[in-house]
Amino acid sequence: MHHVVLERWSRGTSIIHRRDPRAKIIALVAFLAAVATTPDSCAPFRLPAYAALPLAAILAARLPLGGVAARAAVVLPFCGVFVVFSLVAGETQRAAALLEKSYLSALAALAVAATTPVARFLAGLEALGAPRFLLWVIQFLHRYLFVTSEQAQHMRQAAASRGAGGGFRFRSWRLRAASSAIAVLFARSYRRAEATYRAMLSRGFQGRIQLLYELSPDWGDALLVVLGIAVSIGLRVAMVLPA
Amino acid sequence: MHIPDGFLSPAILAATGAASAGGVYWMSRRAQGEIEESRAPLLGVMGAFVFAAQMINFPVGAGTTGHLLGGALLAFTLGPAPAVVTMTAILAVQALVFQDGGVLALGANVFNMAIAGVLGGYLLYRLLGGSRSRGIAVFTGASASVMVCAVLALAELRLSGVPMPPALLGVSMGLFAVNAVLEGAVTVGVIQALARLNPGFVKESAAPLRRPVLAAVALAAVFLASVGVWFASEAPDGLESLADKLGIGGRARAILAAPLPGYDAAWFGNAAVNKAVAGVLGAGLAFAAVLLLGRILFRKKAA
Repeated sequence: MHHVVLERWSRGTSIIHRRDPRAKIIALVAFLAAVATTPDSCAPFRLPAYAALPLAAILAARLPLGGVAARAAVVLPFCGVFVVFSLVAGETQRAAALLEKSYLSALAALAVAATTPVARFLAGLEALGAPRFLLWVIQFLHRYLFVTSEQAQHMRQAAASRGAGGGFRFRSWRLRAASSAIAVLFARSYRRAEATYRAMLSRGFQGRIQLLYELSPDWGDALLVVLGIAVSIGLRVAMVLPA
Repeated sequence: MHIPDGFLSPAILAATGAASAGGVYWMSRRAQGEIEESRAPLLGVMGAFVFAAQMINFPVGAGTTGHLLGGALLAFTLGPAPAVVTMTAILAVQALVFQDGGVLALGANVFNMAIAGVLGGYLLYRLLGGSRSRGIAVFTGASASVMVCAVLALAELRLSGVPMPPALLGVSMGLFAVNAVLEGAVTVGVIQALARLNPGFVKESAAPLRRPVLAAVALAAVFLASVGVWFASEAPDGLESLADKLGIGGRARAILAAPLPGYDAAWFGNAAVNKAVAGVLGAGLAFAAVLLLGRILFRKKAA
């Protein structure tokens, strides 16, 4: 599964990995806001200058540049549809802007996601004031993602080995089979959640989840926030300067 | 229909972001309050379930396969507020871990799929809950949730200035309609199978609404929010007079244009698009107001 790679990347110890998650989130939002407010007329030649910031972060984090660049390309299929729409409408510049803006934004989001383990990211969001209940749900979701997906895969394999696989023609019994499989998966997940909760209670769960990370920002984090915001604003201003 | 970053205009990002932040905060308070403490693990594991259920493909015909989106299914089984929280968690994980949908655009995606889609579908389910067949209520609610998501996403993109040639737009709406029908059919199948496994799984709150007037207004709001938004983006001139009559045209224009004086002036100067923005805002406000009203009335009745 492809997000194992991200999991491995996020466990590094580089200067970027060690930064406070809040600092990375703030810098990311500043960068994304700068890109989002840039006029489309900056495409195609000026916009790529924004790449400097995410690329610097990726290099400083010692992540494989090619691998990260390839992963960020997951936005391209969605973009492709609207690039075609724009080209059909005769708006070439808009097409270029959509492509560049979404790819640059994905690259920046990935630079943060690939240097921050999910639990640490959530600790940062908690410290920034996100609703704690939602963060718990996200944490449980992330924890049980693999378990449940694997179960679904087993069920799919079992169905295929009994002759349910193959073919792309619509058949109402296959729709029925799929819905029954989903219902069974639902029931199993529900039971798993109850068992999980009972296990938590028996281990002394008091109704409050402790996040494993103590956040202690230092000067490096302050520098990252200042640099992130300053460079984003600087690039944003430079975009609209007369040539 | 996860919108990535780089597509939506700052005005749309700000509006949907604010709406989602408020909505999710409210819904997570509700979900936390209305049910036992065991809900955080339950909602998390059910979120993982929706992820996994999306791996079970079924053939659509013409060589393609579809999969469940799941928002409506969660609303019919866990209840609307928990479903909103779970869908929000799913979208957050998709944006952060899978780069599926943008980080800034998370507000818009949450608004479309977790809030409007889930609540819109649930509202229809409640409205039709009194009819003889639960299947009809489930099918309509689940299909509507997909259509509401799709229409809102397309309208947001259109209002952000992404060009959409009518022919291609028609094709994508057709695809969404097929998806909506399938979502309805699969959700009915799943609900029926669940009821066989354990009737307790399906929320029995599908009792008919006692207030027909409220029901009619709520239905009109869903209709307005989806079809109205659609018309707003497709044929802006049609809403022009409506927006002016309601007196929101000028105000919405002022609100939306003020924070972005230099932004893409050519596009913002387009009067038709401004009217469309006003129309969408009006429809959205009406929808929100009716939902709020409904919540208050239901709470009173339950007490």
